[in-house]
Amino acid sequence: MSERKLEIAWMYPDTLYLHGERGNIMALVRYAMELGMTPHVKRIDLGTRDFDPLDYDILFFGPGEISSFSSIISDISRYRHTLAEYIASGKVLIATGTTVTMFGEKIVRLGDTEGAEGEVIDGLCIIPAMAYERDYVYGNDLYTRAEYNGYSMELVGNQIQMADYGYSENEQYRRFGTVIYGRGNNGSDGIDGAVLVNSVFTGMLGPVLVNNPWLTVRLLQTAASVGGIRTSSEPLRFNLEQKSLKLKKQFIESKNTV
Amino acid sequence: MDFRFRRAIITGKAGARIISIIDKNRGTTWAGRTALGIDPDFFSGLSGIDPSRVLFVTGTNGKSTLTALISHILASKGFNVLTNSGGANMTSGVASALVKGADMSGRINADYCIFEVDERYLHEIRQYVSCDNLLVSNLEKDQAQRNGDPDFIYRKIAGVLDEFRMNVFLNGDEPRSCALADHSDHTVFYAAQRHNRAFRKDDTFVTLPCPHCRSRIRFAYHNNDGVGRFKCDKCGYTNNNGRDKADYLLKDADFDKKTFVINDLTFPMPYDEPYMLYNYAAAVAVCKEFAGITEEESAAAIATFTVPEGRIVNIEYKGLNMKYFMFKQENPETLQNFINAAAADPDEKVIILGFGVVDTFDPHYINSFYAFECDYSALAESNLRKILVVTDTSAYDAANCLIYGGIDPSVIEVIPTNDPEKILDAAMGLDCGNIYLTVNMTTFKQIRKFAEKNR
Repeated sequence: MSERKLEIAWMYPDTLYLHGERGNIMALVRYAMELGMTPHVKRIDLGTRDFDPLDYDILFFGPGEISSFSSIISDISRYRHTLAEYIASGKVLIATGTTVTMFGEKIVRLGDTEGAEGEVIDGLCIIPAMAYERDYVYGNDLYTRAEYNGYSMELVGNQIQMADYGYSENEQYRRFGTVIYGRGNNGSDGIDGAVLVNSVFTGMLGPVLVNNPWLTVRLLQTAASVGGIRTSSEPLRFNLEQKSLKLKKQFIESKNTV
Repeated sequence: MDFRFRRAIITGKAGARIISIIDKNRGTTWAGRTALGIDPDFFSGLSGIDPSRVLFVTGTNGKSTLTALISHILASKGFNVLTNSGGANMTSGVASALVKGADMSGRINADYCIFEVDERYLHEIRQYVSCDNLLVSNLEKDQAQRNGDPDFIYRKIAGVLDEFRMNVFLNGDEPRSCALADHSDHTVFYAAQRHNRAFRKDDTFVTLPCPHCRSRIRFAYHNNDGVGRFKCDKCGYTNNNGRDKADYLLKDADFDKKTFVINDLTFPMPYDEPYMLYNYAAAVAVCKEFAGITEEESAAAIATFTVPEGRIVNIEYKGLNMKYFMFKQENPETLQNFINAAAADPDEKVIILGFGVVDTFDPHYINSFYAFECDYSALAESNLRKILVVTDTSAYDAANCLIYGGIDPSVIEVIPTNDPEKILDAAMGLDCGNIYLTVNMTTFKQIRKFAEKNR
């Protein structure tokens, strides 16, 4: 009997469409194959019928505009409980960029006048976080030490921050990255993103899974393990990415601005 | 007349004159900055501006070329045109143009004012300068560090239109800016029929959310990246904001004969890159609606148009002739235009590609994620001798991106340096006379300077 495919759901790709994040899907496919799996990617759009998160091994949400979040949250309401079950079961969800705030409790948008609060969007309440839209964009490099499933790794990428957020760490909600350089969730607590069971929420772009394949492989191995899919134990090499990491670290270390 | 205003005009004009004697390409904002420094109410002291004869040109790509093209057509008809040049499109750039165009009493004697306006400064400039007409070229992904996302700019422009009720000229084939018609009582759409360099992108690429319902926009084809025949899956939103047809439709683009047709008249095509088609259509529409210039008159003027600050520059170095294509970092459309142009060349070629540090604003940072928006498949199948990926921060990222894009790794050579001599020597060593160069602006300037010095 042939091994079943690794099912990847690319969530709302034309709505959460920013920052070249299709590269993350390409990285998942590439390294799934290098790990001996057969990946299958399905696009899930607003209104896609018969979508059940539990049919998938990985859900990927890329960064999008805050203006789109209400439509997506409304669409997700069809399968909100299954999504919570998906995460609790240890399956892998990956969310990047400002889209992470959609998984929090509320997003407070800017008002029409300076300093005023505007529309409040009710989030998916998967992370106990409040998010506040920023009055200017923050774009910079982001360099962290991340912890995932017992592995510690350096990650490098960048960040285009449209909203800041924060949450209290505990046993359930753990930090994903400790910021070495950059802003992270809010510029004050030194944290990038969050980990909930095996799901990762991160502000890091780049695309993060292209630039940091050591993370990509861990995510894939976790998804395979939870889904009962065999993977190859051949060691993978990341020659270009490691050289790139070295150059970027040199550049970041030479900077005198944050 | 207010003393401060008079001093602002005199100082601004004198300074601008001196700078233009030293270097006519410099000082595009100095006069305006100085005038506003002396008299913060400088704009209100000006007279003679008829808002119905003022046009602001904004959008992501094409602003400078469009401003120059429209100004050229109007000037060819004998009109006295006041414009800002050299990309000085923020408040001080517009103020500079007005200082130069005003007489000593502050009166503007131009027949038409055509101002390129940065998207983010549109509201501020419109507050100072009355203007009834706005041309939006397109709203695409650009300058993520500054703009975050295109919706941020869309909302800014929509807010200006809601407040000032301007007439708008919109690209009916570009889904985002096209929806700005909802914020104007008078919209003129320009568009282009499918041409033979149109292309498709498969489902591994993303498009954009519908401006009305946020659902998926699907393209039947792209005439230019992100511009073409489109429709929303859910609400049916389509070209020209749902209108049956564009007011000005460019048809029968022939890149061999270098001609196109608008309203049954054949036009010359002095620049034959696909993105220029929308500039031609926009200029013809604006000049007809705004200044009553006929298609025949526009056609005659377009024939003599030259792009002021070329997007394509030839650089010579020890017998090498390199074609530099300007690409804006964090802007996938201009990178895709380069890729398409290189791929369309059937001859064997070397490509020098460098992303580098984004150094337009602080903090400087490394970003090449926008390169993942581009389709490299045609380039992969073209006659490639080598692709040299350069810069001391992003060379490996560029190589990786190309490999993900389907380029054969054996044609990629990584040169992780910004040193122009090393880059040019590597190109020399390949013994290929057909070289395409696209690198970030800082690296380009270094390469050009070195090549000119060591020609």
